[in-house]
Amino acid sequence: MSDNVLLRVHDLVKHYGDVRAVDGISFEAPAGSVFTLLGPNGAGKTTTLEMLEGIREPDAGEMEIFGVRLARITRPVKQRMGVLLQDGGFEPYLKVREILHLFASFFGHPVPVDHVLSQVALTDKAGAQVRALSGGQRQRLAVGVALINDPDLVFLDEPTTGLDPQARRNMWSIVGGLEERGKTVVLTTHYMEEAEALSDRVCILDHGVIIAEGTPRELTQAFGEETMIEFHVEDLPSSALERLGACRKDYRVDGATVTVETEDLPTTMETLFGWSREQDVPLRNLVVRQPNLEDVFLSLTGRRLRE
Amino acid sequence: MKGILFLARTHVLTAIRERITLFWFLIFPVFMLVLLSLIFGQIGQEGEINLDVAWINRDAGGEDPGGFTTAVESVFERLGTEQAPGQLPLFTLHRPDPGEDLDTFLEEQLTLLRRGRWDAVIVLPSGFGQALYAGIAGAVEPGEGTAPLSVYMSETSVASTMAAEIIEQVLGEVDREILARTGRFDPSLAVESETVWLGASDEETRYVDFLLPGIVLMGFFVNGLFGVPGAILFNRDRKVLRRYWVTPLSVPRYFAGFALGHLALCGLQFTLLYLLGRYGFGATISFAQPAAALTLLLAALTFMAFGFLIASLVRTANAGMATANILNMPMMFLSGMFFPVAGLPAFLKAVVYANPVSYLVVGLRTSVGVESSSYAPALLVGVPLGWIALSVVVAARRLKWDVER
Repeated sequence: MSDNVLLRVHDLVKHYGDVRAVDGISFEAPAGSVFTLLGPNGAGKTTTLEMLEGIREPDAGEMEIFGVRLARITRPVKQRMGVLLQDGGFEPYLKVREILHLFASFFGHPVPVDHVLSQVALTDKAGAQVRALSGGQRQRLAVGVALINDPDLVFLDEPTTGLDPQARRNMWSIVGGLEERGKTVVLTTHYMEEAEALSDRVCILDHGVIIAEGTPRELTQAFGEETMIEFHVEDLPSSALERLGACRKDYRVDGATVTVETEDLPTTMETLFGWSREQDVPLRNLVVRQPNLEDVFLSLTGRRLRE
Repeated sequence: MKGILFLARTHVLTAIRERITLFWFLIFPVFMLVLLSLIFGQIGQEGEINLDVAWINRDAGGEDPGGFTTAVESVFERLGTEQAPGQLPLFTLHRPDPGEDLDTFLEEQLTLLRRGRWDAVIVLPSGFGQALYAGIAGAVEPGEGTAPLSVYMSETSVASTMAAEIIEQVLGEVDREILARTGRFDPSLAVESETVWLGASDEETRYVDFLLPGIVLMGFFVNGLFGVPGAILFNRDRKVLRRYWVTPLSVPRYFAGFALGHLALCGLQFTLLYLLGRYGFGATISFAQPAAALTLLLAALTFMAFGFLIASLVRTANAGMATANILNMPMMFLSGMFFPVAGLPAFLKAVVYANPVSYLVVGLRTSVGVESSSYAPALLVGVPLGWIALSVVVAARRLKWDVER
């Protein structure tokens, strides 16, 4: 293992009955980086993380954490790990401070509770019972619990699922802060923009296998120099669609959204404007953008991430 | 160790902050203590009863011209004899050995009565037959030269109260028999008796003394049967436990913390009930003896282990509560916790003998001196310990700490 890799898995397999939830995946997470497992629901992201967190044992494959090869996750390894579960709960009648003290008591060298409260912006809620917290506050508490031991390796399983945009931004800022402090973060998400905003490296999973891996830029560059033109049309007549197909072969329609890929933006724009006038189809919310991870996933699987 | 203490604290805090837990933990046992204090006044008036009675005849060998001493003794002897196969006699009579010093024997029997081993001590005085005969024959004025029969009772025993009522009825029958034989229907010629209560207290206090150990055990029982699987299964279903398993916390440490918290809750519950019983209802019994403290600890551990057993046999918290409900009534009522179980049919007696609560109830009442044990001391400890071992083995093999996928 190179010195720069904190986590490595090789050929990891996990079955649930006849279902091969994780089907021989291998990847490495460099130290001090944010490594993201991106994929739709059921892709095997959470199962992969649960094996790395010690909740489940792999059926086959190898895990290497902190330079130690492991058949299952040991307590000394857990001393240096922080985990935000996708669906872990708390005792509803305990107070925020009591929960942090409880989890701090499980570790050899915990961070002072007041420090963690401030880190996750819950100082003013320290005396509140869990049942009185909002969804975003509970998620911040869960992050606080994951950081109570100042871990070197942090697993965040779908950290922003179900959060409002403001709470999601707060979570991104916490993850950014972890990276700045040199922590290694392994993140799962099915939000393309989250993976792009936070990740140093992204591993795209589908049906338990890795279908692409690299930095977000490397993955989107697979599209070459193409630019994406996206607009909304309502009740698109089939005749207009046939005419568009005659003008441009590389387009796709997803509900009311039409996306056109092009390497020659000016010419394609002229063609589209001509088509719009000719068919009397207004190009609403027209956006010109670079390809993103959603486009990568779509091109690899023919499906969208959130389908 | 720090983790264990914090887990114990968590268990206690959660229990006392949750209203439903608080109800079962405090309000229900108190309600039962008050309610059953009233109901228990009627206990023993129905069903099969067997009372331990020491019998001392100081008039044996004395003059008994009317045969009254022999008649009275034969009445009690008959009550101490099995009337039908398998049917318990009303009294089990304990008599001095031939030649044994009667004063010494009486002192010993009174000590046993105070300790709750016997339910009554009856002394037929010297000259009883002669005095009764003289009264009936008109040799003396009624009420003169009498030798009353002494009945000693224990104020701290409900069974002793029952014995007093029964002995009074028996003596009434004896009177009727004597009066019918002699043809003189003069109530002043009745067999005189004097009742001596050992100690000084009223009846209400005796009932609460009998009840309090049962209510304490019932509190522990409900805690164990409902509280333990509830805490584990709800936390498993709410996925609280999986948060623990991604930390260095081990299952044995979790279990130790949980057990410590559970015992602390039982201790708190016991203290509240004891204080209420003592200062609210005038209970006089003391749990300070080592045997009582050990029985309480054994009871708390047995019921906790039972809770783990239930948690290991079901998939969800709701199923756990349903199972606890099914077990609750038979285990509690077929234990002698609230009423005597001697007269139950054989198939129910089998449940009583298999039920660890039966042994804990008797063990605790014996250790605080309100009842004499009908079980061998080894059984009082061995049966609950056996259930603990069985429960722990099954729970260790079957208990799932995370929701199944």
